[in-house]
Amino acid sequence: MSGKRNMITVKNLDFSYNQRKVLDNISFNVEKEDFISILGPNGSGKSTLVNLISKVLIGYEGEIEVGGRDIKELNPKDIAKMVAVVPQYTNPGFSFTVAEMVMMGRHPYISRFGTEEKEDFDVVRGAMEKTKILPFANRKFTELSGGEKQRVVMAQALAQDSSILLLDEPTSHLDINFQIEFMNLFLSLNRKEKKTIIAIFHDINLALQNSKRIMLLKEGRIFNLGSGEDIISRESIKSVFGSDVFVGRNPVTKKIYVSPVFNPGVDLGISSQKANKYLRVHIIGGGGAASPVMNLLHSRGYTVSCGVINTLDTDLDTAQMLKIPYVTEAPFSPISFVSQNKNIEFIKSSDVIILPAVEFGFGNFSNLVSVKEAISSGKKVIVIDEKNIRERDHTGGKAEKLYRRIIRDGAIVVKSENQVLRRL
Amino acid sequence: MGTGRKTIKHTIILLIILIVLIIVAASIGAAKVSLKDTGLIIASFIPGVNYFINVEDLNPQEIVIISQIRLPRIFLSIFVGIALASAGVIFQGLFRNPMADPFVIGVSAGAAFGATIGLVFITGVGLLGISTITIFALLGALATTFLVYSISSARGKVSVTTLLLSGIALSAMLSAMTSFIMIFRTHDLTKIIFWIMGGLTAASWYKFNIIAPMVVVLIIISGFYMRDLNIISLGDERAAQLGVQTERVKKILLIMASLIAALAVSVSGIIGFVGLVTPHILRLIVGPDHKILYPTSAVAGGIVLLMSDTLARTILMPREIPVGIITSIVGVPFFLYLLVKSKKQVF
Repeated sequence: MSGKRNMITVKNLDFSYNQRKVLDNISFNVEKEDFISILGPNGSGKSTLVNLISKVLIGYEGEIEVGGRDIKELNPKDIAKMVAVVPQYTNPGFSFTVAEMVMMGRHPYISRFGTEEKEDFDVVRGAMEKTKILPFANRKFTELSGGEKQRVVMAQALAQDSSILLLDEPTSHLDINFQIEFMNLFLSLNRKEKKTIIAIFHDINLALQNSKRIMLLKEGRIFNLGSGEDIISRESIKSVFGSDVFVGRNPVTKKIYVSPVFNPGVDLGISSQKANKYLRVHIIGGGGAASPVMNLLHSRGYTVSCGVINTLDTDLDTAQMLKIPYVTEAPFSPISFVSQNKNIEFIKSSDVIILPAVEFGFGNFSNLVSVKEAISSGKKVIVIDEKNIRERDHTGGKAEKLYRRIIRDGAIVVKSENQVLRRL
Repeated sequence: MGTGRKTIKHTIILLIILIVLIIVAASIGAAKVSLKDTGLIIASFIPGVNYFINVEDLNPQEIVIISQIRLPRIFLSIFVGIALASAGVIFQGLFRNPMADPFVIGVSAGAAFGATIGLVFITGVGLLGISTITIFALLGALATTFLVYSISSARGKVSVTTLLLSGIALSAMLSAMTSFIMIFRTHDLTKIIFWIMGGLTAASWYKFNIIAPMVVVLIIISGFYMRDLNIISLGDERAAQLGVQTERVKKILLIMASLIAALAVSVSGIIGFVGLVTPHILRLIVGPDHKILYPTSAVAGGIVLLMSDTLARTILMPREIPVGIITSIVGVPFFLYLLVKSKKQVF
């Protein structure tokens, strides 16, 4: 990215509203063709930052340069030629037509004593084509659906013919089909038309999948700025948003994604039970069945391990994300003796073994054998029997037989991972 | 598209209607003058055209009635109508509110209070041939506007909500003070009431010559801000994002519209309905784009008030009805009919 022209430079920016500091010493550069997403909880100063760059708000301290010029020296029309804002929604006081709304985007180019020229009509037409609103150019804006209205607002911003786009949660109240349509448009504007984009997205994943850089904003300060890969983690989201998330990788786009982790146990009053931090728990993984209990026990402070899991298994993502030790096997391969032995070692050093409702085939049958050995050697085993073993036995009855044996030999049977807590 | 051409087309149609109505209105009255003679008399006053017209065989009395009595009143009513409708368009646009009219921020109550003071306490003193009442009404209107405006602007920003509320509050107080004076000056009661009801009986070319140029200048200046006004109706923040100097434009338009309304009120008293409803009617016809709405509403305001005033002075001849009564009684049902018929979403 280096060597490209700086489109926006913000230096030591401070902004207060009613004596409350909204932005605190913000500094960053945005180069041409960058696509940077600002993430942060409500009140972290995201919209204020966008409003300052577009000079809708004034009265800040520090420096803001757009296109190499201090915005203090630029009048509103000059800025509107360089920076177009796409707001969350627009609510006109009168029922203008779609074409009239889009033409308003040409305001910066039309002099007070002048009128719309051919070029203005051409640009407006182009903007309506890109946003697919040409067919209803003469309809009333107020009669359109939410998604159509937002396309008109987008076209209005495109009519400004600016090199920088500031997106202020432009899709947050739209259905997923419109969200995807808009994201594709943003990406094509960024890549084909070389527009520089600064975006506020409500949805972290939308930002992660599409932007080149992420700015995490917390209480008016930049918490971190960099590629999503580098700065988005369970920890960074926890400290910026205060929420528990799972950070995984989208198998289609290979990009990381964030998904909230809900902990119903917290509301069930189970949290009052003191966790024994020294209690070592080993969980049999496979097909994602172990993830909920892994997360639950880890969050309660137990020492957790997991195995044997195949690479590319969701349970492996969970284990890696939670940073708990695990035994792994190559993708879609049967468990080797080496892995099985490693797993047995983990079992031997654990106090409790948990067997979630894993699907069993010949490949991972040895996991079941390991559990059988554990119970035979007197280990405490808890079976989460959420799903009938007959439905998840793909070995023609062999797994079911062994499973029933484990239960007969004294394994504790529970119906969900929450009940596990009471039995530890 | 092509707002310019559409604007010119609609405005010309309305101007033709207005010219026809001027001739018709000038011919109606206690002394009946034929339409043809009226047309000739009016044309004889237009420079360039009068060269081809010979009015020597017409009744000189008719010429005086039309040129010195009816025409000043007709033109004054047209300009008051233009002023009220233009101010109405601007206020409705600024406030994004269909209830806004030229008097929304207290111009009328201020003018009425000023006029009352002028009527009751000061007699006989005029300035440059304009009556005390007119001068005091203008002062009252301007003072109120200034007061409301200063209450509502803080740190360089004008709060529209505060503007409306302080306008309503101040109007209430000024009306109460006007009533208070009326209690003690019962012999002036009818004069005050007639002034408040609005009318153009005291029209003269002199009055017209003072008021018309000012109204024209103010209306033309405001006209250059109609593109901004369109965008301001999207909200202040969005307008600023689109390059509008929101606060500056709002200030300029507020001051212009208040001055226009104050000028109208000071010569005609409080004529309701025209400024409120003319913009609505035109919005149904030409759409909400202020670049078209503003000039067409202005001309239409002239037409509406001319028709109303002609009715006011003729239907109960020789008695006159205050024109404010006509505008409301005839105009409101017409407007309601349009609203129901079109079912268009105006706001």
